[in-house]
Amino acid sequence: MQELGKIHQLIFTIAGYKLTLNLEVMLMTWIVIGLLIVFGWLCASRRAIVPNRFQIVGELLVSKLYELTEDAMGKTLARTYAPMIVALFMFLVLCNWIGIIPHMEEPTKDLNTPLSLGIMGFVIAHYVGIKTKGFKAYIKEYFEPMFFMMPLNLIGELAKIVSISFRLFGNIMGGSIIILVVSYLTYNIILPPFLNAFFGLFVGAIQAFVFTMLTVVYISTQAK
Amino acid sequence: MIDDIAVWVKVGAYAGGGLAMGLGAIGAAIGEGHTAAQANAAISRNPAISGDILKSMLVGQAIAESASIFALVIAMILLFSSFPATSFVMVWAVFSAGLAMGLGAIGSGVGAGFPAGAACLGMGRQPAMSGRLTTNMLVGSAVCQTPSIFALVIGFILIFTDYATKPLSPTWAAVMGAGLSTGLSAIGSGIGGGFVARASCEGIARNPKAAGPVTNIMLLGQAISQTPAILGLLIGFILIFKGGAASDALAPAMALLAAGICMGIGGIGPGIGEGIASSGGVTWIARNPEEMGVIVRTMLVGMAVAESTAIYAMVISLVLIFVV
Repeated sequence: MQELGKIHQLIFTIAGYKLTLNLEVMLMTWIVIGLLIVFGWLCASRRAIVPNRFQIVGELLVSKLYELTEDAMGKTLARTYAPMIVALFMFLVLCNWIGIIPHMEEPTKDLNTPLSLGIMGFVIAHYVGIKTKGFKAYIKEYFEPMFFMMPLNLIGELAKIVSISFRLFGNIMGGSIIILVVSYLTYNIILPPFLNAFFGLFVGAIQAFVFTMLTVVYISTQAK
Repeated sequence: MIDDIAVWVKVGAYAGGGLAMGLGAIGAAIGEGHTAAQANAAISRNPAISGDILKSMLVGQAIAESASIFALVIAMILLFSSFPATSFVMVWAVFSAGLAMGLGAIGSGVGAGFPAGAACLGMGRQPAMSGRLTTNMLVGSAVCQTPSIFALVIGFILIFTDYATKPLSPTWAAVMGAGLSTGLSAIGSGIGGGFVARASCEGIARNPKAAGPVTNIMLLGQAISQTPAILGLLIGFILIFKGGAASDALAPAMALLAAGICMGIGGIGPGIGEGIASSGGVTWIARNPEEMGVIVRTMLVGMAVAESTAIYAMVISLVLIFVV
């Protein structure tokens, strides 16, 4: 069980700062991106009235998620942000699912991936907030209900990044730990496929959906 | 001296393993009992589908039990692994890992029993929706397990971190604080998530047409009511990885321990409160799906206010860790 928590790192220094690249995570992320591009190409390259298999799956994914975004954000915002939301969901699902293949690791198991996606959602949400409400009204919200609540409101906003990214990280990390440990304790007999199906496919899909929904909600609450 | 540490590490591991399984058995048993009681009520109302209800009860109980299975895994590791006897911190770390897992399994076990019970009752009322109810129950109970998974993660990190170079004096308090913060704060979120999932199963049985939005809002409500547990996890991570300067004074160590206790106990109430808030949201969306937008907005604002107490606790914990 010693491989737990061991990460292949590439460390080099630039201008006195230590820069660390987690090689496995980067490789897996690129594999996921590559698979998504291939999937997108298969979906959209031969579009027809009678759709092929990939087109059906793609259309289903896009239309369902688009509807969800539209329900929460309204028509105008959804036109701008729904593509990002759909892409986010597909990326996260594939990230969480890729771990069920032997020798592959979930990129979301490394805190850096969920954290950067969480920060991305946070920045977009606040950009939308400033754009729709105006800078003054946006700032004013922090001083409600009383002016001295400002620091706590600020921390409350920052806690959203923590909660959204640690939720995904903790679930995927915990799932992979359970799979590893229980497989080890039972000498890889019988249990691992079921564990992979539950923690890899089921929990992975749910958590990807939760992450996407929360990003949508953060954006839509800022817009109102 | 080395032998001495090895003996104490064993002592700590046994005590931790016992606590993990003992505390971890509380929640799941309560939740499963609740499920079985509701299943009986459902069967007496609608005996025609007693087979389906029994099946659903067993599936729901199996998921509720997974929290205590996590505790069992941690307990087995604590009892049967050999730990490096390099530092006395290890004694506290293995004890704290057991405590975190035991406490963390309570909430998820109780919480995961609620949706299973409500799904059984709903099947009795609305047999046509039993497939949809089972799916919803599975999703809801699986998300309820998240706080106990956090406790498991912290337990593993506590067990497998190398403490050889860390000073004993503040580090023992930091590892104890990390376990307490994650374990205690998971209780509230687990129970709160269960309330939400129960409300959604009831809602689907009451108004099958609203099943789609009800499941979505349930996931949202559960996810947000897990925030206190996540803040507890964050404080746990900070406590483990920050590392204090060695000092024999008692005050810095106690500050770290108090930070963990503060976040842990401070996270219980908000988790339950947010669960109640969003279970209200889910219930009333099921009754009146047309007003979903307003209900969701009110629910989110209410949850944010209920969460503020968890954020006060986190602020005090951070002050205790970094300032005091």
